[in-house]
Amino acid sequence: MALVNNNALAIVLCSVLALPTAFGTAQAQDQCLTCHSTLEDNASTAFKGDIHFRNGLTCASCHGGDSHTDDMEKAMGTAAGFIGVPKGDRISVACAKCHSDAGVMVKKYNSAIPLDQMELVGGSVHGKLSTSGREHIAQCTSCHGAHGIVTKTNRSSPVHPLNLPATCAKCHSDATFMRTYNPSLPVDQLEKYKTSVHGKRNKNGDPKTAECASCHGSHEILSAKDPRSQVHPTKLPATCAKCHSDATYMRPYGIASDQFEQFARSVHGQALLEKKDLGAPACNDCHGNHGAAPPGVESVSKVCGTCHALNAELFSSSPHKKAFDSRKLPECETCHGNHEIVAAKDELLGVGEGAVCAWCHKENSNIKGYQIARTMRSLADSLIVSEENAIMLVDEAEQKGMEVGEAKFKLREIRQARLETRTKVHSFDLDQFSEVATRGFGSAAKVSTEASEAIDQYYFRRWGLFIASLIITILAFALYISIRRIEKEQVQNR
Amino acid sequence: MDTPTTLDQPQHSKRDFLKYLLGGGILAWLGAVFYPVFAYLKPPKQGDVEVTSVKAGKLSEIEKESGVIVRFGNKPVMMIRTAEGEVRAFSATCTHLDCTVQFRKDTGVIWCACHNGKYDLNGRVVGGPPPRPLDEYRVIIQADEVIISSRT
Amino acid sequence: MKTLWNRTFTWIDERVQLSDVMHFLEKKSVPVHSHSVWYYFGGVSLFLFIIQVVTGILLLLYYKGSEELAFESIQFIMAKVEFGWLIRSIHSWAANLFILSAFIHMFSVLFEKAYRKPRELTWLSGMILLFLGMGFGFSGYLLPWNEVSFFATKVGTDIAGVLPIVGEPIMVFLRGGEDVTGATLSRFFGFHVAVLPGIFTVVLGLHLLLVQRQGMSKPLSYERLPVTDQKTMPFFPNFMLRDLLLWLLVLNLLAILAVFFPWELGVKADPFAPAPAGIKPEWYFMFMFQTLKYIPGELWFLEGEVVGILLFSLAGVVWMFIPFWDKKSSRGEENRFINYIGLFALIYIIILTTIGWLS
Repeated sequence: MALVNNNALAIVLCSVLALPTAFGTAQAQDQCLTCHSTLEDNASTAFKGDIHFRNGLTCASCHGGDSHTDDMEKAMGTAAGFIGVPKGDRISVACAKCHSDAGVMVKKYNSAIPLDQMELVGGSVHGKLSTSGREHIAQCTSCHGAHGIVTKTNRSSPVHPLNLPATCAKCHSDATFMRTYNPSLPVDQLEKYKTSVHGKRNKNGDPKTAECASCHGSHEILSAKDPRSQVHPTKLPATCAKCHSDATYMRPYGIASDQFEQFARSVHGQALLEKKDLGAPACNDCHGNHGAAPPGVESVSKVCGTCHALNAELFSSSPHKKAFDSRKLPECETCHGNHEIVAAKDELLGVGEGAVCAWCHKENSNIKGYQIARTMRSLADSLIVSEENAIMLVDEAEQKGMEVGEAKFKLREIRQARLETRTKVHSFDLDQFSEVATRGFGSAAKVSTEASEAIDQYYFRRWGLFIASLIITILAFALYISIRRIEKEQVQNR
Repeated sequence: MDTPTTLDQPQHSKRDFLKYLLGGGILAWLGAVFYPVFAYLKPPKQGDVEVTSVKAGKLSEIEKESGVIVRFGNKPVMMIRTAEGEVRAFSATCTHLDCTVQFRKDTGVIWCACHNGKYDLNGRVVGGPPPRPLDEYRVIIQADEVIISSRT
Repeated sequence: MKTLWNRTFTWIDERVQLSDVMHFLEKKSVPVHSHSVWYYFGGVSLFLFIIQVVTGILLLLYYKGSEELAFESIQFIMAKVEFGWLIRSIHSWAANLFILSAFIHMFSVLFEKAYRKPRELTWLSGMILLFLGMGFGFSGYLLPWNEVSFFATKVGTDIAGVLPIVGEPIMVFLRGGEDVTGATLSRFFGFHVAVLPGIFTVVLGLHLLLVQRQGMSKPLSYERLPVTDQKTMPFFPNFMLRDLLLWLLVLNLLAILAVFFPWELGVKADPFAPAPAGIKPEWYFMFMFQTLKYIPGELWFLEGEVVGILLFSLAGVVWMFIPFWDKKSSRGEENRFINYIGLFALIYIIILTTIGWLS
């Protein structure tokens, strides 16, 4: 804003002080700049470094007027189309005059800059009406500046990767400003970013690390809640993967590039990417978003525990907490993995193949844990068998057309107990575990009995019918014989 | 009733056999009819009709800030009454892994014991792994009677 | 044994002249001819009615006629009470077989012209019994309080409601209010177990009394035979034993149907839910229901449904009073017109019932 004010002042000064004849015709092509340069105002000074100046554009290209004449009245007269300092939306309109016109950009300047930037901004969160209601929130100049515009690869550009965080923060870290648009939006993104691995590297001058636009996009920025947004939970993993799955890109940093593939296979990835379950975590839910960094070894259970609270709580109060921390083992991750967490099956428990307990609890060296793990697993297995058996019996009874609504209702209890045992494993306490398992066994026994009774009843009905039919048939036959006999006798008697 | 006729011996034994067959048949038939009837008359183990489903009780008897599980057909339904006295009903089946949820007066949420899923009293997820809010049931209050009905 | 039996008989005989009844039964005979088989359907209907009374009383022991408990109590009967499934299924099946058998009985009487003088009152009482039987069916259908029955009752009473002037009061009377609610259930329950059985028993008594007083009707062709060629069989024991034999077989049929095709209970009615697709009345109302569907919404200056109902009422009245206007049959002459009417009615009912069932 200050820049624009100075500019206005400079023009006024120019018209008062400068003599029209003081300048030769040598620079007749841009009389505006000639005059303003003598004033050494910021606008004209900066414009000389501007990419537009270097491509032959003049002040008049944006401000209108006639740059060929040194007559101030004429040059900055309404007849010559002088518009002064464009305000509000007219700024962007002035830019779009060329930037949205293929005839100018492609044919005249042979530029590869996309032509849809204006359109994209219009559809973005920044393209909404501002508080004044007369203009839109952001203009081109809000990010790109006005007179000293250079390409974004130029270190001095406000949209250069190393400068961008500060540029965005001009508004986004201004709580007073942000409150007028979105009071619930945090304003600490830059602070968090500075603590992230990305932010630290960015500060140290690495333009390759992610900054704001890497994830949020530039002109097309949308709210994270918008399903089209690159940072919407369902799209975020792919957005991170743009860099993190690129092996060549990641090589200098010495980190793996298969996290996305692993995540996509994981139970979280499947839920988020395939079932579109927004409750499932994306990258940022564990790593943080603006403050992205891998969680520390001891905080893994806290991070996972934001969702898996009961498991984390049980784990934290179990003997394993101390044992893991002292051995520098990442808590949940040690058994469940990180990016490629698959659905926790009972196979993880115990000492057999695929089980994780035996990694530490060996039969000969650590017998107590070994035995507990084995017992838990066998309990879990029997519970599954009991449940399957109960389901089978209920299904059979139902198939036979018997009323087993109540037994079916109780099936839920078995399932619930089975799921609870999986949680209770994390207490690593056999008593807690078997208490839940016993409850499941009890329900399973009850359901199985009820279902078996229903099945027995089915056969009982058929046998009952068979016997009753047999009796009726015999009786009917006897009756038939007697009728015939009686009638024979009647004929004989006659 | 029918007068004995001049029948010879073998026919006589045949008649006797028929008599036994008829008599026995009638007795067995009576058994086949009355056994089910008497068994039917015997009061069943479970004394009375199990009051299930939709009628959830009297509004005046439901405490404020309480939640109970009501059996709705084969599904459990969580009926809650808020501190303001409004009655709501939700499927008591956690949307995460189908456990049955419970009302926690201390925290004022609907809570699932299996994985610490938490829902607010509108059924929306406020914590834990549940992916979706709880399905809501319709609550109709007729006079003092609370009726829960499925939302269709 | 024999003496005890004789003594008991004599004891009763001395007091109520039992031998008169015996004498009557011994003398009573049944004509034997090629159409004799139709004589049995009255008896089968009677037997099915007896079954309905017995199973109905048994169901009454556990059934609860209220909106909240009706469905659950039947569920309870089906699942918890020993042989409850059997009793309920037999009750439902026998109800349908009763109507079927009564229809067969009616049509056989019509085609044989058995209603002709002096049996006009027997026909009339029989028609009343059939209507009452359909009333039993209509009221009993609602009692399980399941979805289909709820909406069928709604539609059924709605149809009554479209009649001008009397329709609305009839509908409100049947429903016990403006809508089908728990009040309707209580009402139908009352009709089904008290009002209808009372009336039915009286009319049935009259019907049977008339049959006994007048004896079995003889077809015209049989009547024209020389007396020596008119074959008969004693009612007791010959015909009665045959009757019993058939009843036994019907009982067995009921048991088989109940075991292999148990009557379904469906889902509990939800008065607030939208009507499910394919609501159908019981099959014996189907032909009327289907006809109403075909009648256009507007006919002349009347509503189509009203016209339909009036036409059916008219047809019913004409049908009921056949013996009173069919003078030809009463004179002992062949009246083919009645056969055509009967045949038309039969084919009409069969075709529309089939269409209704298939659609």
